[in-house]
Amino acid sequence: MRIVMICLVASILLASCGKSKKPDEQAFLNSLDSAKKGPTIDEEVINSILQQIPSPLEISVLLKESGTKYNFGLLNTPENLSKYNSNYKKALNLGIYGTDLGYTNIYQQNQDGIKYLASIKSLANDLNIGQFFDIETIGRLATNSKNLDSLLLITTQNFNDINHYLQTQGRANLSVLLLTGGWLEAMQITCQVAGKDPKNKELKEKIGEQKIILEQIVLLFSFYKEDENMASLWKDLDELKAAFDKINITYTYKESTMEVVNGVAIIKDNSTTTIDVTDKDIQNITSITNSIRNKIAS
Amino acid sequence: MKYVISSILLVSFVGLLSIQLSGQCNPDSFATACIPKLATGFNFLKSYKVDGEGGAKEKVEYSYVFTKGTQYMINLCANGAATDGIVVTLFDSGRNKVATSKINGQFISAIAYPCNATGIYYIQYTFDGSSGKCGGSALGFKR
Repeated sequence: MRIVMICLVASILLASCGKSKKPDEQAFLNSLDSAKKGPTIDEEVINSILQQIPSPLEISVLLKESGTKYNFGLLNTPENLSKYNSNYKKALNLGIYGTDLGYTNIYQQNQDGIKYLASIKSLANDLNIGQFFDIETIGRLATNSKNLDSLLLITTQNFNDINHYLQTQGRANLSVLLLTGGWLEAMQITCQVAGKDPKNKELKEKIGEQKIILEQIVLLFSFYKEDENMASLWKDLDELKAAFDKINITYTYKESTMEVVNGVAIIKDNSTTTIDVTDKDIQNITSITNSIRNKIAS
Repeated sequence: MKYVISSILLVSFVGLLSIQLSGQCNPDSFATACIPKLATGFNFLKSYKVDGEGGAKEKVEYSYVFTKGTQYMINLCANGAATDGIVVTLFDSGRNKVATSKINGQFISAIAYPCNATGIYYIQYTFDGSSGKCGGSALGFKR
């Protein structure tokens, strides 16, 4: 009988200690979590939008591949670090410096890249996320241009880890600021380059298609309207969105075709987007972007 | 009778124990293992955990803004057989199917998607005869 009782208790205990919680239980726990943080913020929704924001590295690669020369003058100087005294500014400029580091890495300007490492580490430490930024490894990789792939990989992983950590710790607001800073800096660089190369249609389209990303960013800020700083930036971003609203993006879906080559499914995308953007749109967007970015970085 | 009850409970105990063990999923390790498997020339963007929670979840979904003129690669890693029945399907913002890793009944471990239309895309992982319902995935890009 004793064996029976032991088995029974063990079975009940094991069943109740299952890894996945029942949906009802999870929903209840979620409701407790959201109640703590205020009813207007749905962390799950915020996190799902945050993960959509593309890496600024994509724009840096586009600039390099299109033959644009490296220009350190387009970036936010690492010496501005001492100006960032609030968590709000620190998170935004951590994002800005992250984009700048990616830009220097893509162009293999490692000496400039190293200048950003200390500033990034300092901001990350101040925000209690310094443990995710492996400055020693990055610094070591940055000293040899043959390590470019590893350098890009580890910096991307570090920033992904930071964002993931912030989101799981209920500090998604900092993640929003970090990603927004990174996006604004990439926008600012692209706009400056496009201004010097007004006939470059690809760059204009690249700016125009940022409308889709800005809509997501503005949506994110709408969750934080109670925060004075974020509400102020939301207003600025809304002004930028108004400039983007003049751009028409037309999407046409057509079924893709696929073939398998060497174990990889190669897709032929037959859908298209056309982006109607004028020079005036670009000028307007450039002006507002610079104004917002300078307000944040200076 | 006592023997019968003991046997039933013992079988239940062993059964539950095996469910617990088979339900253990460490998608982080699969996601991390997938990163170096991106084809040469692709820059790493994101890694995704694919945890079907032992069958509790029918699908795992993420989203990302893909941009025109960029080629993306999504690969899959799982225990045992290449993809262990995990299928990745790409949908556009209107939920039209753009790509899938199951072609003519064959499970492919990577898809390369040269994007021709900028927009929000949904990266959906489903389990088609998957035993572990556990894996990882990595997203990379190149111009």
